[in-house]
Amino acid sequence: MKWLKALGIMIVFAGNVCAAEDISIALEKAPVNMNDIQSIKRGAKFFATTCMACHTLIYLRYNKLAEEAGITYEKMPVNVKTWPLGVKPPDLSLEANVRSVDWIYTYLHSFYTDTTRPYGVNNLVFPNTAMMGVLVPQQGQLVLASDFKLVHGLYDRQPQWYNVLEYQSQGSMSPEQFDQLVTDIVNFLDYAADPYQVEQHRLGYYVLAFLLIFFVLVFLLKQAYWRDVK
Amino acid sequence: MSVLQWIYQRFPVREFSQKHLTGYYAPKNFNFWYYFGSFSLLVLLNQIVTGIWLAMEYTPTADSAFASVQHIMRDVRYGWLLRFMHTTGASAFFVVIYLHMYRGLIYGSYQKPRELLWLIGMLIYIVLLAEAFTGYVLPWGQMSFWGAGVITSFASAVPFIGKYLVVWLRGDFNVSGVTLHRFFSLHVTAIPLILLLLVFFHLVALHHVGSNNPDGIDIKEKKDMHHKPLDGIPFHPYYTVKDLMGSVVFLIVFSSVLFFAPKMGGFFLEPDNFIPANPLQTPEHIAPVWYMTPFYAILRAIPNKFLGLLAMAVAIALMFVLPWLDRSKVRSIRYKGNWSKFAIVIFIISFVGLGYMGVEPVSPVRSFLARLYSVGYFAFFLLMPFYTAHEKTKPLPERVTT
Repeated sequence: MKWLKALGIMIVFAGNVCAAEDISIALEKAPVNMNDIQSIKRGAKFFATTCMACHTLIYLRYNKLAEEAGITYEKMPVNVKTWPLGVKPPDLSLEANVRSVDWIYTYLHSFYTDTTRPYGVNNLVFPNTAMMGVLVPQQGQLVLASDFKLVHGLYDRQPQWYNVLEYQSQGSMSPEQFDQLVTDIVNFLDYAADPYQVEQHRLGYYVLAFLLIFFVLVFLLKQAYWRDVK
Repeated sequence: MSVLQWIYQRFPVREFSQKHLTGYYAPKNFNFWYYFGSFSLLVLLNQIVTGIWLAMEYTPTADSAFASVQHIMRDVRYGWLLRFMHTTGASAFFVVIYLHMYRGLIYGSYQKPRELLWLIGMLIYIVLLAEAFTGYVLPWGQMSFWGAGVITSFASAVPFIGKYLVVWLRGDFNVSGVTLHRFFSLHVTAIPLILLLLVFFHLVALHHVGSNNPDGIDIKEKKDMHHKPLDGIPFHPYYTVKDLMGSVVFLIVFSSVLFFAPKMGGFFLEPDNFIPANPLQTPEHIAPVWYMTPFYAILRAIPNKFLGLLAMAVAIALMFVLPWLDRSKVRSIRYKGNWSKFAIVIFIISFVGLGYMGVEPVSPVRSFLARLYSVGYFAFFLLMPFYTAHEKTKPLPERVTT
């Protein structure tokens, strides 16, 4: 029967191998840390001063941390009638759940110069995005590497954004500083999507610890009763 | 006269507990697979209790439903816990029910005299699918909206009255706030009431015919001088303490998901459902939640909509008639022949394979595989009268084995 099971597993997974991907680059793993409260607060401040020019966070309107950073409902662009290009920037309250933190992290890194686009920038993760290159002053100008098609062929897996893009000019931040800025934003958006996460995990450890101890007791109880079952 | 005595004279507490707990003799050789019945009762309780509290804060209107779920997650004290208990519970319900059904399948628990017990169980499964579907619509995200659209549109395949039936189901020409509001009503009152009634019938039927066991032999045939089955033990205290122990293990697994991975990588809570319902924007890939995907894959495997729905209905109907398809002299897989064992393996591969194909977007290879698995699924049931009647079975033991 063993060969049959093996065959079964092979058939079940055969479908997966043939999957074609829409996104041509791999998502970089975002170094998120939901316990890094300082990073979340820095991200919130940046959001309040920059992102909130266009994006709302309507489900964070009663959140203390967001309020301290200056994110209040009154300041959110909720009543803007017309947006450039006719695209309303999405509310980002749940973006980390919709797209994933890795997606946001890679998206914010992978803007590059493209003169065919209205704002002169395009994006690797979200081709023809309507968003402006808001972080270009910090990151610097990136262009598609001249050999990006070759790079594509070199990797048997999908390439990372930094394999495909190269710096044309340095921005106001070093690459390390910029990584930190994006990490702060992603940490904040992750918090915005699930503000209860820290409490959830903390409570989870207590519940599991209780259940493990309780298991020992009910196990002994069961053994005691079942001793006389032959 | 004590208060208890006063009650006992007016209400059959002792007779009830005697009949269903301390005097209900269950086979002593229950194994791992026999935990899932009691787990499903535990999950049912969890769904009812958390559901009551969720309904206190949830708003079933198209304008406010999505926001009210976020209100529960963010502003209600431990609201996130209640909601995750409910969403994780929904998936856990199907995990334990599928394993409970699988137990019945391999040990022949549907055979005479337990046919009606099996049928009531199958009805519970169907009602549970309806409960899960109506519940999934309530958060009013993109998947709720478009999933509701796809599933209610199934009714349009009914000949002649199809298009009227869809409007009747939705209460509108498209899925709308009206649909949401009625699904809320069904989800919190009508369907749970039916579910509880069926669960009650399921237990009544079980206690009337007695539990099967992994050997599939009747423990009532060998009794001691007190007319108690030699291989039976009272449900209470033996199985109450054993199920308590099992329940703690179940809760450890359940809590691990609940506290550390409640979205289960998009399987329990789909990413697209974090976007509010938008009738103007179709999601790229509409897939039902994992527990419905095997039947969804059968539907998609057949290019014709009506025939696809028919195949899906037949796939479910075949499970109902299982007691009459099995012609074997023995109940348990332990004593059935090699053909039955082979068929079970084919069934598992087909069912899991179909489930996987139902999650993934369509591609030529996957369509082919979905058809292959569908053939496997149907062959398991339709050929059962032949392979069970003609295969060589092993001799049954006199007493249960351990």
